Amino acid sequence: MERLLRSYVWALYGFVYLPVAVVVLFSLNDSDLIAFPLKGFTLRWYDDVLGDARLLGGLFNTFAVAIPVALVTTVLGGASALALTRHKSSFRLVLGLLVILPFFVPRMILAVSQVAFMHQLAITKSLLTVCIGQSLVILPFTTIIIASVLYRLDPALEEAASDLGASAWQRFRHVQLPLMKFGLMAACFIAFVLSSAEYTVSFFTSGRAQPLSILVASDFRFHLSPTLYALASLIVLFNIIVVVVSELLRRRGEGARK
Amino acid sequence: MASLEDTRRKEFAVLATPAVLFVGAFCIAPLALLFLYSFYRVDFVAMVPDLNLRNYATVVTSETYRTLIGKAMLHGALVAGFTAVLAYPLAFFIAMRVKVYKAALLTALLIPLYTGDLVRIFAWRVVLGAEGILNTFLLWIGATEQPIMALLFSTGASLLVLTYNYLPFMVLAIWIALELLDRSLLEAAADLGAGRFRTFRHVVLPLTLPGVLVGALMVFALVIGDYLTPQLIGGSSGVTVISAIHDLFGAAFDWPLGGAIAWVLMAVLVTLIAALATLALRSRLGRALLRTR
Repeated sequence: MERLLRSYVWALYGFVYLPVAVVVLFSLNDSDLIAFPLKGFTLRWYDDVLGDARLLGGLFNTFAVAIPVALVTTVLGGASALALTRHKSSFRLVLGLLVILPFFVPRMILAVSQVAFMHQLAITKSLLTVCIGQSLVILPFTTIIIASVLYRLDPALEEAASDLGASAWQRFRHVQLPLMKFGLMAACFIAFVLSSAEYTVSFFTSGRAQPLSILVASDFRFHLSPTLYALASLIVLFNIIVVVVSELLRRRGEGARK
Repeated sequence: MASLEDTRRKEFAVLATPAVLFVGAFCIAPLALLFLYSFYRVDFVAMVPDLNLRNYATVVTSETYRTLIGKAMLHGALVAGFTAVLAYPLAFFIAMRVKVYKAALLTALLIPLYTGDLVRIFAWRVVLGAEGILNTFLLWIGATEQPIMALLFSTGASLLVLTYNYLPFMVLAIWIALELLDRSLLEAAADLGAGRFRTFRHVVLPLTLPGVLVGALMVFALVIGDYLTPQLIGGSSGVTVISAIHDLFGAAFDWPLGGAIAWVLMAVLVTLIAALATLALRSRLGRALLRTR
């Protein structure tokens, strides 16, 4: 029974990583065709990516969106997480439902409602509207990540600070913030990664300047080439680094719990 | 002098207001506007604000939209079921059998999730395509003479990739439920002579069902909202209620009808989710999560 369970777990991880392995494999394959048999090893697709001005422009836009989105959702999510885990207010349930709402509204509906909203207020689509739309989608994630860290922190330290006469601000600045620092950083990284991968809302809210995810989507549809696989591999590699770093940070943060 | 309670209340307001305003302005208000639009009608290329229920009548009476909404619910429920069955043993393994590498295993599960929908979808097209890995393998072992075209661009392929996409959400939900399980109950069951299977069947499973339910809710909502997977994997079967909304907001300019479909879909979704969430929150797990520290 135990052996069966163990093999099952390995098989499932195989299933989870199969597509990623395929992408990396073909990004290194020396052929225009994405098909077997493999032809040989090459790095030329990576060379192509790094020399493609259009894709690099998209990458710039992705960063121009992902950095503000990560910061805004971390601050909003951090404040909501504190309100949700440290207060007994009767509005807690309302706040929780509001913050989680964008997760449960189908993303396409969220996207078209943004389109209607921008139309009504005559707002021009730009990277700013992409930022707003994405922040909405990502806020539930950052709130839950930070809340899960706060939930496991011992509140005794914060109570002690209050008992010793610290003001709310002093308690936040000198006790809560240092304790939740790593949770905030983890949330910030994950928001960055989610933002760079987001497609549906970005597609509807972006104007002429388009983030990488949208350029990649149209390329994937109209001229599929191993260059895109090289790009995807680079994105995966980058994401793995960011996620692993943020996970390490989160675990260091949890060292602070009781 | 302000009482402690007043200060706490003020603090809560300061913390909660930014997120409430943000969601209110950029989620609730646009959705409300979409609701308003759903009563308009379209005259050539402009929307006319003469309020009527025609769009809702269209949605409710049209065979197509009813079928599409039904299909979305069915696929949501199927994928929720698939992920639950696949995820439970893994979540059980991580929660009950692993000590040191818990976080590493969970992180490893989440990494493909962060690679973005498109990267994963196109990888699946390579795996499932006519010259894909699976077909090449089947040809090689002689299981088939011709590549099986139906591996890609079918409802089955779409459900497979949706299951793949949302599996991590289900694992996390069940894993949390298992971690919160009071271990002394397991000892008690063992002391009372229950075998492993009976303990699982009568103690572990019933107490972690709320976790499965929470996971199912998330997966259900995510599957219904998924636009890219059915489109790029499902082929001709890829028409969904979501792609219908997309089309009405794009080439087939009819925002009011699109808004009406969206709101009918959300009404169905909210009813289902509210019913299931009430069930989940009434449970022990729900109460544990609602408790402050």
